[in-house]
This record gives sequence, C-alpha cells and structure tokens, in this order.
Amino acid sequence: MSGADEKKTPTRAAASATATGAPPGAAPSDAAASDAATSDAARAAAAAAADPRAAVTYRVTHETRYDYSQPVTISHHLAHLRPRNLATQQVHRHRLSVTPRPSTMTERRDYFGNAACYFTLEETHDELRAVADSLVTVAPPRLPDPDGTPPWESVRDMVRDTRRRDLLDACQYTFASPNVPLPAEVRDLAAESFPPDRPLLEAVLDLTARIHADFSYDPAATTVATPLAEVLAERRGVCQDFAHLQIACLRALGLPARYVSGYVLSRSLDEIDRVLEGADASHAWVSVYLPDGGWIDVDPTNDKLPTREHVTVAWGRDFSDVSPLKGVMMGGGAHTVSVGVTVAPVPADAAEAAAPPAHQRRAERPEPTLQAEQQQQQRMGGADPLSP
Amino acid sequence: MPLLENTGRRMRGGQGMLPGFSHLAYAPSRGGFDEMTGADGALRPHWRDFAENLSDLSRPEMRARWDRGQRLIRDNGVTYNVYGDPEGMDRPWQLDPLPLLMDGKEWAGIEAALKQRATLLTLILADLYGPQRLLTDGKLPPALVFGNPGFLRPLHGAGVGSGASAVRPLQFYAADLARSPDGGWWVLGDRTEAPSGAGYALENRIIVSRVLPDFYRGTNVHRLAGWFLKARDALIGMAPRNPDNPRVVLLTPGPYNETYFEHAYLARYMGLTLVEGEDLTVRENRVYLKTMEGLKPVDVILRRTDGGFCDPLDLRGDSTLGVPGLVGAVQAGTVAVANGLGSGLVESPAFMPFLPGLCRHLLGEPLKLPGVASWWCGQERELAYVLENLHRLAIRPAFSVQAPVVNAGRLSKAERAKLADRIKADPIRWVAQESVTLSTAPAWTGDRLETRAVTVRAHVVLTRNGPEVLPGGLTRTAAPGSLSVSMQEGGGSKDTWVLSDEPVPAVSLLSSRAAPAKTVRGSRDLPSRVADNTFWLGRYLERCEDTTRLLRAAISRTAEGAAGGGDPELETVLGLFAVMGHIGLDDPRADHEAQDERVRELLIRNMDDAAFIGLRGTIHNMQRTATIVRDRLSLDTWRGINRLDDRLLALGPGENVDPDDALAALNETIMLLSALSGLASENMTRGPGWRFMDIGRRLERALHALDLASTLLLAPDGELGPALDLVLDVSDSIMTYRARYLAAPQVMPVADLLLSDESNPRSLGFQLARLMEHCDALSAYRPDRMFTPEQRIIMSLLTGVRTLDLSVLTLEDDAAPGEVRLGDLIGTMRSGLWDFSETLTRQYFVHAAEVSEPPSAFVELLATKERGA
Repeated sequence: MSGADEKKTPTRAAASATATGAPPGAAPSDAAASDAATSDAARAAAAAAADPRAAVTYRVTHETRYDYSQPVTISHHLAHLRPRNLATQQVHRHRLSVTPRPSTMTERRDYFGNAACYFTLEETHDELRAVADSLVTVAPPRLPDPDGTPPWESVRDMVRDTRRRDLLDACQYTFASPNVPLPAEVRDLAAESFPPDRPLLEAVLDLTARIHADFSYDPAATTVATPLAEVLAERRGVCQDFAHLQIACLRALGLPARYVSGYVLSRSLDEIDRVLEGADASHAWVSVYLPDGGWIDVDPTNDKLPTREHVTVAWGRDFSDVSPLKGVMMGGGAHTVSVGVTVAPVPADAAEAAAPPAHQRRAERPEPTLQAEQQQQQRMGGADPLSP
Repeated sequence: MPLLENTGRRMRGGQGMLPGFSHLAYAPSRGGFDEMTGADGALRPHWRDFAENLSDLSRPEMRARWDRGQRLIRDNGVTYNVYGDPEGMDRPWQLDPLPLLMDGKEWAGIEAALKQRATLLTLILADLYGPQRLLTDGKLPPALVFGNPGFLRPLHGAGVGSGASAVRPLQFYAADLARSPDGGWWVLGDRTEAPSGAGYALENRIIVSRVLPDFYRGTNVHRLAGWFLKARDALIGMAPRNPDNPRVVLLTPGPYNETYFEHAYLARYMGLTLVEGEDLTVRENRVYLKTMEGLKPVDVILRRTDGGFCDPLDLRGDSTLGVPGLVGAVQAGTVAVANGLGSGLVESPAFMPFLPGLCRHLLGEPLKLPGVASWWCGQERELAYVLENLHRLAIRPAFSVQAPVVNAGRLSKAERAKLADRIKADPIRWVAQESVTLSTAPAWTGDRLETRAVTVRAHVVLTRNGPEVLPGGLTRTAAPGSLSVSMQEGGGSKDTWVLSDEPVPAVSLLSSRAAPAKTVRGSRDLPSRVADNTFWLGRYLERCEDTTRLLRAAISRTAEGAAGGGDPELETVLGLFAVMGHIGLDDPRADHEAQDERVRELLIRNMDDAAFIGLRGTIHNMQRTATIVRDRLSLDTWRGINRLDDRLLALGPGENVDPDDALAALNETIMLLSALSGLASENMTRGPGWRFMDIGRRLERALHALDLASTLLLAPDGELGPALDLVLDVSDSIMTYRARYLAAPQVMPVADLLLSDESNPRSLGFQLARLMEHCDALSAYRPDRMFTPEQRIIMSLLTGVRTLDLSVLTLEDDAAPGEVRLGDLIGTMRSGLWDFSETLTRQYFVHAAEVSEPPSAFVELLATKERGA
C-alpha cells in the first residue's frame, strides 16, 4: 500500500477545486514519481497502520495547470492552498510555486482564518502552472462518544440569538450561503435522523450514513455549478455536493455546519484495502459544531469520521468561500484546466528535516518560484497569524 | 382664465374642494394629509405665495410652461431606464412642474434628524465591520448580520486600525421620507449602498426653475449647488494620497443601469471621470485608470455599483461590473471608496425596528425621526404578531431594498396563506411594515391639477465637519390612484423647495467664489473605452451624413428619368447602394418600374432602425454610442444627437413614405448633421476626445470618397457623364467644379477633386492629411519617438495620393504599361485604411473585458460532455 499505488478513482476534480474542471487522472508531475519516494511512502504507511493512534506525516502536492487558447495579458488569482495549523494538524512546510512568475504575491488571512494567497500575473502567458507543496502531520483527534453528546435541540437553542463570542462564531454557520440554500426538502431529509432529544453526534452520523447510502458517488453527474436542488433530484454527486447537502440539512435544523476543503488519502490506513473517494483532487467534507468539544468533522462521501487520513486546508460557509484556486483574467479565450493531487505518507523524520532555519530556506528556494510564506512573513512581521 | 380664480384661504362648506380649484377639480382626499391645503381647506401658510402666483397663470399658459418643461427634459436627455421593458431604455424622466414646498422650520427638524440617522448608521457599520460589540452586547440579533447577504465578509476588519482607519464606511446617505396622516414625518427606508437621486433632484431644480422662473425668483428657495460642492470636497478629502490633486472617478455599472443618466450627469457636474469596471485595473494593490496615455493611479472611487459586484475575485465571482483586486487595494488602504464596500448592510429593512434602541445605545439620545413601524420576523414574538395581523401589513424581504413591497391586505385569502407559509419557512428573511397612507400634493397633469401621493428622498453627505443635508431632494409621486411610489412602476417626480425666511445666497460649482475648489485631476483623462467609443461616434456621424447625402441624391432623381428608360444618374446611385449592401445586386432592368421598386427597397432598408446597414440603423448605433460617452458631450451636441432621428421617425415605415416628404426630412437631417459637425469643430476642446472623434470622421469620409470613386467603374462604357455628375453632387463639389472648369465633368478633373485635391474638404487627400496630423499628435503620447505604426500607414497612403499622376489613371481593366488602374488604387487605399483602423484599435482601445474565471464550471461541463456522460 503506497501513495504511488493509489487507485485512480474517477474523481471530478472540480468537486472542490474551482481550479478545476480538470479532467480526472491528470497526473502530478513530480510527486511520488521516484521509486525511493514510493518505498518511503510504503514504509510510512505501514508504520501508521501498525499504530492507529500514531500521527501521520504527509507530503501533499497539488498541481493546477491552465492552458489558454489565447494569450492572457493579465490575470488575478486567489488561492486557498496552504493547510491550516490546528491542534491535530501541524504544517511544517508549504510552498506555492507559480509559473510564469507572478508580479505580486501576497498572503492574507481571510475572514474565516484561512490563508488566502493573492497573486497577479502581468506578463503575457498562455499557460499557468501552480504547484502547492506541503508537508503536514495529522494526529487523530479524540472523538467523543456519540451517545454522550448533548441533544441536538440544545445546541440549536444555544447558538441562536447568542451573545457569546465563541458561539457567535458558530452561529454564523447556521444560515443559507451562496451554494447552500435551505429548501424545504432538506429539512424533511434531515428530520428523519433528528428525532427529538437525539444526541447531536449520533444524529449527525446517522445523517452521514444515509447520505452515503442514498446518494451515489458519480464524478460525471455534476459540475461546479450544479445546484443543490439538482443533486437532490438526481440523488448523485461528488464530495462537494454531499458536503453542501449535509450542511444544508444541518443548517435547516438551526445547527452550525461549515464546509471543509482539503485532501484525503486514497487508501485508508485504518481499514486495510478500503479505497477512499475524492483522492485525486482536493476533497471536501463537513464540520459540525459541538459545544465545548468544538468542531467535529464528518465525511459524507466516505461515511467516515476523519481521523488522520484527511488534511484540512481551509473552511468557510461553502465552496465559494474556499475554492482552492480561482482567477479573473484578461484574454485567454477557451482554456483547459488540469488538476492533480497526491497525498503521500512520509517518514516522520521528514517533518523535522523540512524545517531548516529561515536563511537556508531562502537560499534553497529555486527561482522563479515565489514563496508565499516568505511574502506573508514580510507582511505580517514573521508571526504566524494563521494558526487559530 | 386664471388657473386659480380665487386664492381664498378658506373653502366653503367643507366640500373638499377649494373654490378656486373647482374647475380644476383639485380635491384633496378627505382624511389624508394634503401638503398644500389643511383639513379645514385653507392653504397652508408656506404655500400661500406660491398659490397666489399660480392663480395668476391661465390654463393655456400653464400648459405652455409644462410643454417647455417636457422639451427641456427631452433636450437635456434626462432619462430613467426601466428594467425588463424593451421600451424602457432611456424613458424620458417624469417631472411635474409644481414643486413640493417645505416649510423652513419644519425642514430644520428633518435636517437634524437626518444628520442623527446618518451618524447612527455610520456607527453601526463601523461596529459590524469591526469589533461587533452590538452582537456581543445583545443589541442586535446575529441573524441580522450573518444571515444577511449584504454583510460582505472580506471587508470585515478592512480599514480598522491601519492608516485607513480615518475612512468612514459611509459618505453618502439617503432616506425616503413620508408624512403620516397626523402631519408628522417618518422614514420609510434608508439608502446606504449607493444612494441615487441627488443628481435627479438637481436636474429637476434646473428645469423647474426655468419653467417657473418668476415663482422661483420670487421665493426664497434654498439652493442646491453648495451641497454638491461640499460633496465634491468630501470626496477629494478621502484621498489616501495626492491630497492636493487626487484622481476621483465615478464608477458606474453602465448605460443599462436604471439611473445611468444620473451617473453621467453627476460626473460632469462634479468634474469626475465616469468609468466602468473594465476601465480600472489593479496592479500591485493599487487601482489604475486605463487611459490612452497609459495607466493613471486612482485615489478615490465614488461608487454606483453595488458593493457585492465590485470585485469578482473577492466578492461575487459572477460579476462583470467589478474590478478584480479592488478589495485588496481597499484593504491595503491605497484607494478610498465611497460608500465603503459593504455599506449596504444597514439599509436592510430588517434594521429599522432596531434603530430606536441602537440610537439610545450608541448616541445616548432618542431617535429624532421615527421609522415606519416594522417587525422583523426573525424574532418569535414579532413573527407571531405578523402572522396574526398579516391582512393589515405590508411585507417585504428583510435584506433587500430593491424588492417590491407586497401589501398583504390586498391579497386573496389563499395568497395570504401562501405568503404566511413562505414567511414561516424562513422567517429571518422577512419584514412586515405598517401600511402607510402617504400625504398628497397637487400635480399638473397637462390640463388640470390632481392629487398625487408623495415621498421625499433626502440626501446627506458626511464630511469632515459632520453630516450635511441637501436642502431639497427628490420628491417622487405615485402613479395615479396608487399610494406606493416607484419610478420603476410609472411614478413621477417633483422638485423640492425648502423655503427660507431670508434671501438665500447663490452658489454654483462653476463660480465657486465661496471656496476656491481644488482641481480634480482626471476630469481630462480619457479612458481607452471612451476613446474607442468616441472614435466610433465620429465614424457613425460621418456615415449618417454620407448615407443621407446619397439617399437624397437617389430620391431627388426618382421623378427625373426620361419616359420609358430609367434615369441614368439614379441607376448609378442605386448601383452604389447595391455595392454598399443596402439593396439587392442583380436587377439588369434599368427602366422606371424597376428603379421605383429599388428605391422603395432602399427606403424600407434605410427607415428600419433595427437594420445594421441603413440610415436609421446607423443613427440608432450612433445614439447608443453617444450614450456611452454622454458625459463628454456638450449639451448642444447631445440635443442634436437626440433629435437626429425625429424627422425620419415621423416618416413612418419605408413602405409608405412619400418621396417628397422623405426629401424634406433628409434635407433637415443634413442640416442637423452639419450643425453637429460644426459643434465638433468649433466647440470641442482639442483634447484626445475630439481627436479620436475626428479620426473616426476622417476615416469614414475617406472610405466614402473611395466608394464614390468606385461608381466611375460601375458606369457602362462611354456613359460616364451621369456618374461624374453624381459624384460631384454627393460630394458637394459641383460649385467648385463649375468655378474651375466651366465644362461638362471629365474624368481626370473629377478624380483630382475627389482624390488628390487637399483643399477640398471632401477629398481623400484632405482626409489623409488630417489623419496624418492626428497621428503626429497622438505619437506624443507614446513613450518612444519612432514613427508609430499608424503614422507609417497614413504616411504611405498620403504619399501614394500626393505622388499620383492622374494622367496615367485608367478606368479600364486591362491597363497599358505605366498606367494605374483606378480599381487597384481604390483597393490599396481601402485596405490601408482598414489596417489603420485595426492598428489604432490595437494601440489605443484594447480593453478586452477581464473575464471572470471562477465558473470554470463551463470547462467542466465541456469535459463532462466529452466523456459522453
């Protein structure tokens, strides 16, 4: 079992990469290409499988390539590609390389606390390549006992009309958002899993399982623009659609639910031989607010509580807040986009090796790559304002 | 007959009708509040002088004044676009000549209340886009903000704590005011996104003061110009850099916006550059205006585009009206935007019921002017009340001021139940308001006075020295019989006169002796898009003139043909029209009957304003282009352009046009076109705007000269006479020719006059020489001193014409050695001119829209299809 060995599940790249629209199976250029990397990944995966409580370190490569039929004279882009630092997730290294070289590249923290990288290309180009390369360690979270979570209505009532700042943060994820309308159908769909007084997490897991069972995963079924109503009618979709659907169900009940954009390992570490959907491109799942316990993630596409096989990049109300890469360009004509993502476990010591002193890092940076990280540090005075 | 026979202060017997108004049927409805007359029928004190003046006017005189007002509106091009109505573009502005009079003391109270409200809304915005203490203090329910699409998250925290912290989120505020039956004023709604109406108020004032000059002079009416001066200074004062000479632009969504007239009008009046999103570009977090001289930094943006549409990268990805990267520039503090992006949040009707509490909380005082009673359904008690009293309430979306208000009382029971279900399904999105009875005022309907319900839109600008209220405003009147007011639904407008006890000083932006105005850089900037449209305006104007002259030549010859055979000159001009694509090519007959048919075909084509080729179609295109650059055209030019189509339109469809009528109309059209070209040559500053317009004109006329020359090739062998006559006639050169040659036209002299003679303003050579001058002038804008590509093209063409030896010119297809075929010459010149046009476009006009990428869904759709799914 290894990163290079992963099954190429037919995934709609666009599922969460706006980037996107990429035809599936676009192979990333360099990641996991060499035998050495393959065997490293295999060893690391084997080590992780042996101890379910162990943290796992991944090298994630996310390549997006635009080919334009007409030259683009200027383009502005916004990327959500840097994984977040969390209690259960540590980012050792992140680099975004863009070719041709952007004239400006700045990273800001967006409203939701994600790293948002803005870059502009002012030289005429007919091809754009953006490669995000991250080294991340993910530790399994302590999962609460679903039976022990509070009744769902109490959570609903707690966040509604709250004045508490922490609850206000949760409260803002209870409303309709651009990709998540709240039609009557979703309320009906959700109701079955939410009888009175049912513990919140138990109900959420039931809903997750039902979505997984009743909706089929079909990369050909939808596009980035597919509205929720169509997903409901067709009963099929991809990770982005299932995430939006479950979010809609939860919000229709007044429960805070946010959209998480990230990556998933293609083959489960915990359940040998299980293939996880959504691995070829960026993945999307859902996070539900549990009082005191904070947010807990659920993955309706794989009917799974994410433990250490999911790498969190960004969260927001829905896809529109956190699309991995979007852009506005002058010229360009028709264009094609290809996206490739590789998530490969690496030996734990790789993480330590990945954090050399700053001056070395600068020295080894190949031109014409611009390091978003450095830009960000220059702007933000070297602090890490992005860790929550 | 005087309009008011009696200015009697009291009416008899309480019949609801003033004696003096009886024949005019001015009957204020009983029980309501009439602005002019009290419940006892007496004129209100502040209306007395006005009513007395009115009573001196006879009905025909009033009618004449009203007509003058209509003409001024038309001439000034005051329009309002109605959405979803194909005839709605540029609908003439509806203005009633009788102003609404406001008592000065009463206005002082309103003024203080509006200042308070503007200050309050500023504080609320600053908090919600900052620390949000109003939420943690429980003063506002979170749904009002987080469930509100008007809350633009990327703007949260922008401008807080940095150098931009001095920037207020609100610079312009407007409120819709109405009077309740008990005589008090209340606020119907707030406007904080991009308030419209101040420009219309000013235009109304300009027109009404000319329709009723005697009234206006004899009354102490507060002037409006001073407020606009303050507004301009406030904008200048916002500039984060270049405080002495900032570049201020007015960002408009474009000519299809309902209030585009106002955008162009205010830009002209305040000396700002009118720009659309695609005229601006962001480089390194700085906003620039794309001009033909290169990129110019922009310091302040007065925004009339909704905030959500202003940046497709950070805000609505589907917007084509925005400037990608604008939010980043705002966050970096390099540009000031008025109103600040996101300011629309607090105009949501859902805020109304919370304002009294917020006013006490934030300002420590009660709200001075009540809002119309409102209930936001996002709260349980309010929701219950609304559902119980639905039949008495007006329902509107909680987060949109644009959406129409539904009067639930007028719905059927079933409809009301359906509405209740919609409210219950998503209560936070609904607001209920008390149905209000508006006060009424007299309006002149063309032959009599009628009552109309009125509301007043009042405007505030927030300056460094505090809020300033426009002493006047836009009074809007309801459609007859209606009590709700909407310009979209056929309402009208009035000027608003705030009366003073003392004489008021006059202020004008043009003679601002009061305060030496700072110059606003940028009013002279020519955005590339505008340069492009100005160029096309020149081309279309010339094309109109050329086509009109040719049409006149054709129609004036319809009756001249010898019996039996058709007129040979007519045949020539019809041949040319056929080449130009106006009529079919193949009709070998040249008799009368065939000619009549073809002239008819020609008229039908040219009277069809939807045809791309043809006179009225060209006029239509020309007017559309002129609309885009309206803020750069003088009023006279605009009037001329507006009227150009009138005579032709009056002819009706081409099928039934009488040739004599057509001839008269064409003659008048030529006069108007000549007036327009005279205005351009005598009244336009020789800036780049004029230059591009003239380049367009010269280019088009040069092409036309080549068309005319080609008629010599159409003529049958040995029958050149008619063609030569026609060429001289159409190019207005008969007099010149006769003075020079005193003989029947010959090929060589005519070719000289048409092609080479640079003293003839209709010749090809003349046009090329002018184009050369323009190219030389434009090259000064370019960084290097080499000849520009367009200079090289024109130089080559001009040299070709100047070195042409006419004696070797031949009309024959098979030229002898050393001869130059006319056909070849025309072909070379024509393709050279096309090259020139394309080069010019590349050099100066390229402004391809920045295409929004995010819906790469489209790419995905294609990919999906390719997979055959």
